[in-house]
Amino acid sequence: MRKAFPVSTALPVTGGRAAQSSLAVKVSRNGRTGPIAASTVLAGTTMSLFGISWDIQWHVDVGPDTFFTLSHLMLYSGSAVAGIASLAMVLIATAAQRAGQSVDRFPGGKPVRVLGGVFRAPLGYLITGTGAALFLLFGLLDLWWHSLYGFDAVLDSPPHIGLFLSISFSMVGSVIVFAAARDTRWGRAGVILSIPVLIVFSPITTKAFGALPLPVDPDLVGTVLFATLLLILGTLTIGRRSTALTIAATLGVLQLILWWFSPWAARVYADATGLPLRDNLGDDPPELPSGIPVFMLIAAAAITALLWLSRKRGWSGRVAPQIMGAGGGAVVGLSLPIQSALFGDSGPTSAELLKMTATGAVTGVLAGYLAARLAVLLREHATASVTKGR
Amino acid sequence: MRSARFPLLLAVALASGRVRDHARRLAPAIVAALALVAVSSTPATAYAPVGVVHTERVKAGPYTVTVGFSEWPLRAMESLDFTFAPADGLAGKSGRLTLDGPGIDADDRETPLSRHPRKRDVWGLDVQALPEPGAWSLTFDIDGRAGHGRGTLPNVTVLDQPGPPLAISWTVCAIPLVGMLAYLAVGWRRNKPSERVAALV
Repeated sequence: MRKAFPVSTALPVTGGRAAQSSLAVKVSRNGRTGPIAASTVLAGTTMSLFGISWDIQWHVDVGPDTFFTLSHLMLYSGSAVAGIASLAMVLIATAAQRAGQSVDRFPGGKPVRVLGGVFRAPLGYLITGTGAALFLLFGLLDLWWHSLYGFDAVLDSPPHIGLFLSISFSMVGSVIVFAAARDTRWGRAGVILSIPVLIVFSPITTKAFGALPLPVDPDLVGTVLFATLLLILGTLTIGRRSTALTIAATLGVLQLILWWFSPWAARVYADATGLPLRDNLGDDPPELPSGIPVFMLIAAAAITALLWLSRKRGWSGRVAPQIMGAGGGAVVGLSLPIQSALFGDSGPTSAELLKMTATGAVTGVLAGYLAARLAVLLREHATASVTKGR
Repeated sequence: MRSARFPLLLAVALASGRVRDHARRLAPAIVAALALVAVSSTPATAYAPVGVVHTERVKAGPYTVTVGFSEWPLRAMESLDFTFAPADGLAGKSGRLTLDGPGIDADDRETPLSRHPRKRDVWGLDVQALPEPGAWSLTFDIDGRAGHGRGTLPNVTVLDQPGPPLAISWTVCAIPLVGMLAYLAVGWRRNKPSERVAALV
């Protein structure tokens, strides 16, 4: 990252000969720039995810809150890390282009003209950086909201939803960054790591609809939609049959780590600050990790089997993703009430199981439709020539 | 190009030397300022004590409970602290609290009486928001040495939420989402992914 700062002195320099000596050009041509920047963004978004899970568990297990609890700081730092890395990459791309270097293959996705061409921003970093900038704005709005309402009484206040959306944008940017490098091993690994982070985080935003009188819990619909969409998106973007299973297995590992981390961090921090745990905590499972679908490997197996069948029968890409979505979505939908019962809720009725399976299948069709088209957009651009072999 | 860069590099070199000199002199001042900020911000990070600005008394069989409110009058969606103090302390007592009012979530309706996290000598609720305005009630079921007692504090009026109407807040917070969806729609129209999806699988 440090190498990025002298870029500002290179900004006014233009012309092919200058391109040879520009630091920005050297950095942009270095094969390590792409993986280092992308990993930094992923580290930031993962910090945000762990921060939110810790914070939610803190509210459940301990309670007292300020703007500067460690879990809040972890949440803020995640966006800051992702945002600074993205800003650095946008500045390097801009400076490299001004120094005469073509940035068509610059890591991070298709270069986009920003502010009438003042900046050249790789699409992934543009979206990650925009998410981080919006996080700052919504942070200020949240501070004002707390001055009116007090601290963090509800998760689904308008500024909180704005903050969650901002973090989700950063995570979407991270997927785009890695997808652009899908021809490299680190790019594919990044897609497989960044998609589970987004699967866990994105349904939080659907809590905004929680107060509406809907026939199905929007949180559950959001979980089915994002989990199915992102599984299919990852599979079709990388183009390998095993991808859905690998993503689901990674999601399971992430769930296990969050399951251990969130209550552990809440209790250690409570000990360190001399605060007691709440009375009557019971043995409820950790709040956020227990909402992550636990049967995703079965859903991924269904999606993989339907992909195999589609290829064998020669089904068109116009139809096959929706069939994969219906199968995967139905499994996720059916599994959610069973999962709730396993974690202590009352057992689901057969009518409820039927309703959630049907909701899952319908939501899955939409997820498959969107996933295929988004995969086409992601596959538009590749940065293999810059980063191949890394 | 080189002649244009030379003065620039010279200026940068001179400036960086001066900046270093300034930085050396400024360093102690910066450290002192940061220390001052750290010390002065410490109280802001401390957990606020529970302030009780209004109380009501509830008779629950043989027990008398003083209900304390951190805000009065109450407003919907505000972060509230409630304290529930039995006349002769918590020792040997347990019980349940039933909150009832408009828009309450079924999971929040009935909870065991637990000590307030920031005021451990009484029962209480912390960072509790009442979702909608209207008439609310708090019912206490208490078991202790004097047996079982049940009592209700009825008709606790909760006024409208503070701040601007919720529709405005939601509209402002939806602007980035609408912007991002519009950006996606433009990209979708330009690239027409539906035309190329057939060969994807």
